[in-house]
Amino acid sequence: MKRTALLGATLVLLTGSALAQKNVTIKINGPGGDVDPVIVNDLINRFVKPAVAKDGINVVYEPFQDYNPQLTIALSSGNAGDLFYLQGEQAQGFIATGRILPLNGLVDTKPFVDNLVRAFTVSGKVYGIAKDFNTLTLTYNKDIFDEAKVPYPTNNETWDSLADKLRRVKKALGDGYYGACLSADFARMGAIAYANGWKQFDANGKTNLLDPKFVSAFKWYTDLVREKVAVQPSDISAGWPGECFKNGKTAIALEGGWLNSYLKDQAPNLQYGTALLPKSKATGKRGNFLYTVAWAVNARTKNKDAALKVLKALTSPQAQQYVLESGLAIPSRKALTNNTYFKRNDQAARAAKVVFDGASNGTVNLYGFGKYGPDWAQPINAALSAVMSGQSSAEAALKKAQADLNALKR
Amino acid sequence: MRASPKRRSDLQQTATALMFLAPLLLSLGLFFVYAFLRALYYSFTDYDLFNTPQWVGLRSYLAILADDRFRIALTNTLLFSAVVTTAQTIGALLLAVVLNQKVRGLGFFRSAFYMPSITSSVVITLIFIWLFQRRGVVNYLATQIGAYGPVIAAFIALVVVFQAAQVLWERSRGRPARALDPALLWISVALGAVGVWLALAFGWIGIRSVEPVDISWFASRERLFGLIPIPLLFIMIQNTFTTIPTMMLFFLAGLQNVPSALYEAAELDGASKFQQLRYITVPMLRPVTFYVVTVSLIGTLQMFDQVRIIGSAAPLESIITLAYYVYNNVFPSGSLPRAGMASAAAVILALLTLVIVALQRRFLISDEAHS
Repeated sequence: MKRTALLGATLVLLTGSALAQKNVTIKINGPGGDVDPVIVNDLINRFVKPAVAKDGINVVYEPFQDYNPQLTIALSSGNAGDLFYLQGEQAQGFIATGRILPLNGLVDTKPFVDNLVRAFTVSGKVYGIAKDFNTLTLTYNKDIFDEAKVPYPTNNETWDSLADKLRRVKKALGDGYYGACLSADFARMGAIAYANGWKQFDANGKTNLLDPKFVSAFKWYTDLVREKVAVQPSDISAGWPGECFKNGKTAIALEGGWLNSYLKDQAPNLQYGTALLPKSKATGKRGNFLYTVAWAVNARTKNKDAALKVLKALTSPQAQQYVLESGLAIPSRKALTNNTYFKRNDQAARAAKVVFDGASNGTVNLYGFGKYGPDWAQPINAALSAVMSGQSSAEAALKKAQADLNALKR
Repeated sequence: MRASPKRRSDLQQTATALMFLAPLLLSLGLFFVYAFLRALYYSFTDYDLFNTPQWVGLRSYLAILADDRFRIALTNTLLFSAVVTTAQTIGALLLAVVLNQKVRGLGFFRSAFYMPSITSSVVITLIFIWLFQRRGVVNYLATQIGAYGPVIAAFIALVVVFQAAQVLWERSRGRPARALDPALLWISVALGAVGVWLALAFGWIGIRSVEPVDISWFASRERLFGLIPIPLLFIMIQNTFTTIPTMMLFFLAGLQNVPSALYEAAELDGASKFQQLRYITVPMLRPVTFYVVTVSLIGTLQMFDQVRIIGSAAPLESIITLAYYVYNNVFPSGSLPRAGMASAAAVILALLTLVIVALQRRFLISDEAHS
């Protein structure tokens, strides 16, 4: 009898202490690759784990190599993490699955930049907290411009004057060097069309690629390649324009903050400067994309409270400051926009400032495709590729792209 | 009544057999039968991986048949399968016959020829992309051939002339000389080289300066004979290259079972090497050929990985195959998966494979193969 009582007491004590500890593990999914897992792991170890350890929360990061398909399967089979990356342009599709938790009333979205909150809002519900953002900048290789005796690009450049400088660089340096690597990608070329005042969707939700504002941007981009002033990355054995730039083969790159963290890692001695994207001669304005990624919570998580705590730690001011200084992206918190980091005088910090300024200068649109998803950009990318490789004229390619876009159903 | 001892031991044997078969049966049942039935069911629903599937009858099938992209994928798949299966079978047979000879270093050649099969197809695809990229080796070689065109043409012409002269001279002296007699050929090649060197030195021929060949093969929208998209042609070449060795192995194994007495008899009757191949090797290898063609058909009809790796480097409509069409429907970017459509496409692909294999069994390979 006495023994049973003792056993009972021990049991009560044990369960009691277990309850107090309530150890839970929160799993986070994000993309694999070279940069992200390293930075995210570091971020988790330095800022997130210490912040939530007192609540008995443990955090693990599980990267997916082929992110979006794998996340789809994980969500469908119920194996997705409690928290995961949600890319701005993919958001609509994932929100439609109903497996993402609306955060209204759970997370205060006021401290975050409004445009970024809007990117993850569908019918008044917020499905993700933007972790950071990026815009495009004009990054130039100082040595190449010096060698070619061409002045550096400035913030007052127009697309035409920039093209001119690139032609001069190409002429001076000749074989093996190029003005730029341009990929057949709306995600870059679209910024020029926005500068010209082109609208992605008109009032009826239709896209017009035959609009002269789009056509002239399209021609600026493809003509450089046809003149051989620019090349496609694959033509010089590079995977993306940043790699051409890293190898010192191209005078400029039109990329975002990710180029800074990449160069910091891969070409620490490369001397580069960063300017705002050029203006359109016709409108006198700039255009740009706003790229963003959010953290979203799995609607079926068994540990909602813990997941929300981790979400808060992931988007905390300290965590965002760290991402900023890694050079990868710009924080999504309004308060961090007056950061002392922007006043520092090294090339990565200066570049970060330009990425930040790019978001509020000229016509800036979220990188996304409305209700269509990335399928929308396929016809445009195909047209870019066809023209850049000399298979088709710009007129014919755009006509076909417009027909393909009209056939997109959703 | 008790079971007779014989019957009991029969039962026992069956049980033992089943036990040994169990792992395979289980995995077949789970990953094939069950998966196939599920896919069949989903193909009649509007399943999107997240909803409760609703029965929609044949709607997915009708939508697929009306889809332009499906028709392109079907054409590409059939072209791919026909070309690659043919090239693979003939190539593998010839390689096997060659490697069945008694030559020095046989082991080395056998391993070397087998290498492509055990190299990861991802790696091989990447190498092909590099070879055929705009500043790649293929364009470079094409440029060089253009530049050295006159030299190469002169060399070939000289070799032919010298060889013909030598062979005629030998024959006029009553000696049996074959047209491509190796000893004479060496002399012709040497004389040709000297001739070209002299022609270059005297400036009769020169190296032309030509525009570098600048074709981006993968972005090409051209079609070979107006039929085969150029990017698909690369996948064909590459797929043939990587699978020939495996097929060759089957043929090699088959060749070991062809009695050498047949060849000896044929040789005594004065049959040429080609006649031996045509009338002994090919018929004797029928059962193996049936197997090779079947495996090849199934593999090519369902080809996916090489298309996926080339991905956005080539225009989708030039490379999309049925298997890739299925994948594209499960993971359309930025919208809900169309698992219903994908399942229907997969069922169509399965039926297609079945029909084609049945047809080739019925018409291409005669009855003796089935014994």
